[in-house]
Amino acid sequence: MQWLLTLETNEDMISICRVMNIFRRKGLMIATLAMTDGPSGFSMMAVVESPEAEADHIFNYLRRTEGIQNVTYYRHESFPNASFVFIDSEADNSRVAQVLKAFPESKLIFASHGKYLLEVPEEKRQEPLSARFRNPAFRPFACVKTTRVPVRRDLAAASA
Amino acid sequence: MESLSRQKVDVIFGIPGGSVLPLYDALYSTNIRHLLVRHEQAAAFAADGYARVTGKPGVCLGTSGPGATNLVTGLTSAMMDSIPIVALTGQAPAPLIGKDAFQEADTIGISMACTKQSFSIRSAADIPSIIQKAFKSAVSGRPGPVLVDLPKSVLMENAEVGDYPPAGIQTPECVREWTEADIDRAAEMILESRRAVLYAGGGVVTANASDELRELAGLLQIPVASTLMGLGCFPSRHPLSLGMLGMHGSYATNMAICQCDLLIAIGARFDDRVTGRLNGFAPSAKKIHLDVDPSEVNKNVRVDLALVGDARETLRALLAALKRRGAAALAERRPWLERIESWRSEHPMTYDKYANNVKPQFVIETLARYASEDAIVAVDVGQHQMWGAQFWKFTRPRMWLSSSGLGSMGYGFPAAMGAQMAFPDRQAIAIVGDGGFQMTLNDLATIVQYRVPVKIAIINNRALGMVRQWQEIFFEKRYCDTDLDFAPDFVKLAEAYGIRGARVEHRSDVADAVQDFLSDREPRLIDFWVDPAENVYPIVPPGASLAEMVVEPPQVAVEEEALDDLWAV
Repeated sequence: MQWLLTLETNEDMISICRVMNIFRRKGLMIATLAMTDGPSGFSMMAVVESPEAEADHIFNYLRRTEGIQNVTYYRHESFPNASFVFIDSEADNSRVAQVLKAFPESKLIFASHGKYLLEVPEEKRQEPLSARFRNPAFRPFACVKTTRVPVRRDLAAASA
Repeated sequence: MESLSRQKVDVIFGIPGGSVLPLYDALYSTNIRHLLVRHEQAAAFAADGYARVTGKPGVCLGTSGPGATNLVTGLTSAMMDSIPIVALTGQAPAPLIGKDAFQEADTIGISMACTKQSFSIRSAADIPSIIQKAFKSAVSGRPGPVLVDLPKSVLMENAEVGDYPPAGIQTPECVREWTEADIDRAAEMILESRRAVLYAGGGVVTANASDELRELAGLLQIPVASTLMGLGCFPSRHPLSLGMLGMHGSYATNMAICQCDLLIAIGARFDDRVTGRLNGFAPSAKKIHLDVDPSEVNKNVRVDLALVGDARETLRALLAALKRRGAAALAERRPWLERIESWRSEHPMTYDKYANNVKPQFVIETLARYASEDAIVAVDVGQHQMWGAQFWKFTRPRMWLSSSGLGSMGYGFPAAMGAQMAFPDRQAIAIVGDGGFQMTLNDLATIVQYRVPVKIAIINNRALGMVRQWQEIFFEKRYCDTDLDFAPDFVKLAEAYGIRGARVEHRSDVADAVQDFLSDREPRLIDFWVDPAENVYPIVPPGASLAEMVVEPPQVAVEEEALDDLWAV
């Protein structure tokens, strides 16, 4: 089973080492890994293979590990069920441009060294995702769980 | 030291060395007690014992390099059993880190897998806040060991410390992920059940939730099975107590697990030694899992409802919901309790009480009979540990210390020492095997030096008994390197350290010897030469389900032995 994980850690490098160790212990094989640093720590995106059909406990393990914040995990899905597209652009940034052109409402979730994760909200799509992205460089995912508190747009608007 | 004092640290277990000399220099003028152990592994085990009996983090200290690496087994054991420890380790001076300096080890890297969190301090000014974070982290959520690595250059540094964090014992951060609707659903599931079992683990002890557990069990007449970690959280003599479940659980307990219609796991993690083959574990039961650690949910066994949160708070909410529904002991549950009682009668937890030689179970029972009601019992790992779990009558939580998850031999004696430091007026009894004791017996010197009145009872079968048992049962009696016939005379050894020792070789001497052993407030050692052929039963063979437990030694084997004896005659 293929999963995509995004997470942030504090600025202590040992936290990133812990993440790698957790992947190893939990039997996750890393297919793709991208990492970037930010003002308060590191961000990481990994596409991983797991022998198990469930990854909840790994998500829970990561989210309760000291030094790790904001974990989200996505399941590899067929295009009709996916709202996220992972793009391994290698040196060819036109692939990202292609998505953004077709779906200008897309939101960039993660970007580092040619690896991108874009959210393509279902309600904003003029055409199905599958019609555009037959190339294996585009991998569709569906969000399963996140520690991020979902933004309640109605409340935000009301308070504004 | 000021930072440690502010965390109300009253005792540290450790060994000094070059890198931590500045720390020991500061220790010289504080009120914090220090126990100079004879190996850092004992420091970690003693800190673990201290933490288990008090609920406060135990503190251990080692110098850089070997001092730190020697702590690793104790930290791993604490990690497995969710025991709060703060380990302080020395480190080479900061400019030399990474240069393979003398006694430099990558302590942060090495300890990554055996700590909940680790800190490398780079400035003396950070010490107060990091020490506070370490203590907070050790007790918060699912407790565990935290390591603080202190380079010598930082310990030598003069720094202006601004405001110290507030003093006082750190209280755990509250975890609660359930909703009232979840609690209502749990209450409904419990009320609908007719054959429920409560499965209580170490989380009940950690959360100080024993009273709530007892109330829940009593309210609805639900029997309680305990894990090795949970022993003591429910009184052994309570009519609803099922004792320990799992690989060496009783027949009635394991049968109750196999046939229950609802299993309520509280602070337990469905360990493989508990579940046996997974598809045979509580196969027809709905399952509710209360745990502070969300990563335990659905890790080994899929559950119908998870209530992630502190066990005490969750149980209180559940009790309130049940009472709102007018919950009471249902007559429909009576047949279930009667069935369990019949299993108990069918196969009681017993042994040959008429044997001429010293049966280890008899020793445990006798120790339990004459020990104080609030005695602390620390065990090593192996057969004696299981007999302790099966035959000791537990009266309260935090009286049973066992390296349960890691199963580390050598744990019992130093853990008892740490517990005794926390409660100098209670009896602390280390029940150890002759194998495990030989791993940490060098701390006999420590208990004499500091007059720590630990009582050491060796269940001596001249073998690595549990391994020998497995070789006997599962490896066709091909006994390979499990004999410990060559061992010191433990009585003389004790006397060499200045401790009174005694050996008991006859059944008739056990009771008197135990009474004498427990009669004073001095460290004492007693060496029970028990029947080396005795094995732990029931046993669930590896890979089997709980229902496939072997209740007693196979008759065939007994007959074969009897024939052998006949031929010998």
